Amino acid sequence: MFRNYLTTAWRSLRRSKITSIINITGLSLGMAVVMLIALWMQDELNHDKVHDNYDTLGQAYTSQVISGTKATMTAIALPIANELRTKYADDLQAVALASWRSGNFFTVGDKKITSEGMWVEEAFPSMMSMKMVNGNIHALNDPHSILLSETLATALFGKNDPIGRSMKMGTDFEVSVAGVYEDLPFSSTFHDISYLASWQGYLIMEPWIKWNTDKWDNHSFQCFVQVRKPDGQTAFSDKISHMLNPYFKDPNWQEKLIILPIKDWYLRSEFKNGERAGGRISFVWLFGTIGVFVLLLACINFMNLATARSEKRSKEVGIRKTLGSQKKELIIQFMGESVMVTLLSLLVALLLVALAMPWFNQIAAKDMSIPWKAPLFWTCILGFTLFTGLLAGSYPAFYLSAFSPIKVFKGIFKAGKYAALPRKALVVLQFTVSIMLIIGTIVVQRQIEHARNRPVGFDNERMVQLPVNTEALKTHYDAIRHELMQSGIAAEMASASSPVTSLWSIQSGYSWEGKDPNYIPEFGTIAITHDYGNTVKWGLVKGRDFSRNFNDSSSFIINESAAKIMNFKDPIGHTINWNGRNYQIVGVVKDLVMKSPYKPVDPTVYCLRYDAATNMIVRIRPDQSIPVAIAGMEKIFKKYNPAAPFEYKFVDELHGKKFASEERVGKLAGIFAVLAILISCLGIFGLATFVAEQRIREVSIRKILGASVFSIWQLLSKDFCWLVLISFGVAAPFAWYFMNNWLQDYEYRTSLPWWIFGIAFGAALLLTLATVSTQAIRAALGNAVKALKSE
Amino acid sequence: MLSLKHISKWVNVGGKPNFLLKDVNLTINQGEFISIMGPSGSGKSTLLHIIGMLDDFNEGEYSFMDQPVHGLKEKQRSALYKQHIGFVFQAYHLIDELTVYENIETPLIYQNVKSSERKAMVADILDRFQIVGKKDLFPTQLSGGQQQLVGIARALIAKPQLLLADEPTGNLNSKQGEEIMDLFKQLNKEGVTIIQVTHSEKNAGYGSRIIHLLDGRIEQEQ
Repeated sequence: MFRNYLTTAWRSLRRSKITSIINITGLSLGMAVVMLIALWMQDELNHDKVHDNYDTLGQAYTSQVISGTKATMTAIALPIANELRTKYADDLQAVALASWRSGNFFTVGDKKITSEGMWVEEAFPSMMSMKMVNGNIHALNDPHSILLSETLATALFGKNDPIGRSMKMGTDFEVSVAGVYEDLPFSSTFHDISYLASWQGYLIMEPWIKWNTDKWDNHSFQCFVQVRKPDGQTAFSDKISHMLNPYFKDPNWQEKLIILPIKDWYLRSEFKNGERAGGRISFVWLFGTIGVFVLLLACINFMNLATARSEKRSKEVGIRKTLGSQKKELIIQFMGESVMVTLLSLLVALLLVALAMPWFNQIAAKDMSIPWKAPLFWTCILGFTLFTGLLAGSYPAFYLSAFSPIKVFKGIFKAGKYAALPRKALVVLQFTVSIMLIIGTIVVQRQIEHARNRPVGFDNERMVQLPVNTEALKTHYDAIRHELMQSGIAAEMASASSPVTSLWSIQSGYSWEGKDPNYIPEFGTIAITHDYGNTVKWGLVKGRDFSRNFNDSSSFIINESAAKIMNFKDPIGHTINWNGRNYQIVGVVKDLVMKSPYKPVDPTVYCLRYDAATNMIVRIRPDQSIPVAIAGMEKIFKKYNPAAPFEYKFVDELHGKKFASEERVGKLAGIFAVLAILISCLGIFGLATFVAEQRIREVSIRKILGASVFSIWQLLSKDFCWLVLISFGVAAPFAWYFMNNWLQDYEYRTSLPWWIFGIAFGAALLLTLATVSTQAIRAALGNAVKALKSE
Repeated sequence: MLSLKHISKWVNVGGKPNFLLKDVNLTINQGEFISIMGPSGSGKSTLLHIIGMLDDFNEGEYSFMDQPVHGLKEKQRSALYKQHIGFVFQAYHLIDELTVYENIETPLIYQNVKSSERKAMVADILDRFQIVGKKDLFPTQLSGGQQQLVGIARALIAKPQLLLADEPTGNLNSKQGEEIMDLFKQLNKEGVTIIQVTHSEKNAGYGSRIIHLLDGRIEQEQ
């Protein structure tokens, strides 16, 4: 009996090839999308779980309120670590200070390699359960010890055993390799760190740290803790929230310590006004919701097509009944058929996922793979496939098998005026989702464009940025500048204490005449050289730039945002006191967008200092070709800075990277929108086929009575336009609400004009008409007599 | 073999009953060949469907092989007719997705006949109807007469005592029709009871008894 069903099912699939292809394509596309989203979500939700101490690790955050302005950050003051260690030893298993991650170059023989890593205290590697390939995990108590990732160790030493080998870090710090650890996977917060150097060494390299041993207001370090009680991070965080009170007596400057559990580092690390404000987790739920919708669309679609086709199969139901088939047997047959199609779709979906994986990994910036060997994965997808199959098969199975064969032969079941109503409701749902996705995609794209087109306040093209990685670059500043300009490579060159695409230092300690004494202002503070303004081509609003013709060692240039806060009628010539020293404002420049293109610019002051340089910028002459200029620069930098490798980055590329996250969301949303629309169109196609067939008698009679092709097309298409209109009515308010909310997250944001909704509606309508027309015109052009005869 | 007593069937049209069959009394014995005739709408097909248990009636008693059909549940009824009755339709009603062989085999599957036995039975009937060469073709590849032959073969495969035919030659030309009617006569001689609905006097003549219906009543028997 089973074989008989199978052959029937297989042949009926093959007989109606187009429908079957559409059906299987639609369902497998939907399944593939859901699988990708599920894998992505699982990856996101399991972030950092590679660390064995997942249930006890946490990072210290500082939450401060200065003059009413609240801010929360990972930067903490140095004495905090000691305080935690001594006073809370009963609660804490381990505490480890860490530096910011920074690039450094290593020299082994003639090999120079730049890598990113951190200076950490001894406990850090074992807290993070680094898997040692070789060497000692506890070696970092020696200031000259270093642990390398496998990749970096291989890059530096090749196949030789690196343990015990010494090399130079930077220009003159000797380190010796004490251990090699397995590279951390993508899902670890520290996956891009390739070395861990000793905190004791950091103290030697950076003597200023010692002076901060009891400074509670210099937030320049990171601190990681491991609590004793599993999942006890939050309780511990509550316990120590007032730990800093004795050190902050000024009511205008209050600070609090927070321990953020490792499970929140990646997903829920945002704070707004000192309160937890979610984070990436919102993307996880957003895509989860999209996934559910896409799945819903695909199932609806499958059901729509399956039921539309099942009307065709009614004759078979009648015959089988007269031949003695029972209702139960018919139900089994239809269910089985439906499950067979879903299983087939599953195969196609798995194939699609496997093919799309590298591409998806690239878009999502991840390193995922299909867990072929995980039983849970198979349980999930098989369960889900059976569910879809049974659900989709239930309508034809129960509905058709219930009819007496006589009725089926007579075609009575076709008469139901509302037979298509549930299907119409499903199509409305599909189109609601599609229209929302279209609107969402347009808004995301617009926001990205909006931020991209934001004037940055300087010219970021043809500008190269280089790290000041040795003292040599500072001492030879003038010589390098002279040679670069002399050789026709550079139009100008400068250095600064912050890169142009970031702001590394925000400082307090400013006062001026007329300032509210209770107000503690914080300004971005950047030390620059004379040539900075000409290099970045900033816009001078008032006063003058730093100049070699003046003594500018006590001069400030401020940006417009800072000028607004200082609130002088004319800021030029006014005196600003900074940590006890007086400076004179000589110029005001336009705001430079150095940080996020979505946020307002920090009020910033620029002072003139050559020794604080961390980055050099070179503006390439407009008549120079870029590759030639880079080659020329390399020669000059090698000459003056032979100890360090020549590294550079283009400023416009660095700026472009700030859009990556939004672009990723935009791209994914766009892809999902296209897929949702495609699936919806398949649904519409199914419904149109069904309706055209159902009304074939009516159409034939109308034709015999003289109806034109156009009027029949109109007759069949009209209803669908209504469906789109209803969908739009449902989708528009939801889309407006969601997208308006989304835009609120950006301080620099685009508007939400009505025409976006118009475009979405027009697109949906056009696609619907195009889809429906294929069926409507076929019905209108069909042979009327033949259609009537077969009735 | 079967007897109908005071069978009536009606549908309500605007609150008033509209009779499709009214007080029909009929007894049919084993081995008869009955033709039911009458103008369109006289209730021929309805009567045939009720005899075949494909349709319900509102009033009266129907016993088939000494079992009261009106008292049976759907499942029992279907078990009864699939064992004893074969159907032949004007539009053949073959399953398009199945081959000739598989179409004929299907009723046996529903009666849980073993695979090896099915093979033998289908082979027999293909041989008998001289359609062995067509067994792997699909219905759409056959002429109308051939399709009806397959339909009859399928109706007979389970060796029913009663064959119900609803205008079996309605879609065929006269030569094909004659062949089918000759076949029916032959089957009847072999002991199969046949009830056919027909418009044609000539076809009706093949039967041993003709029942004329008019407006849902038996008008005349000859």
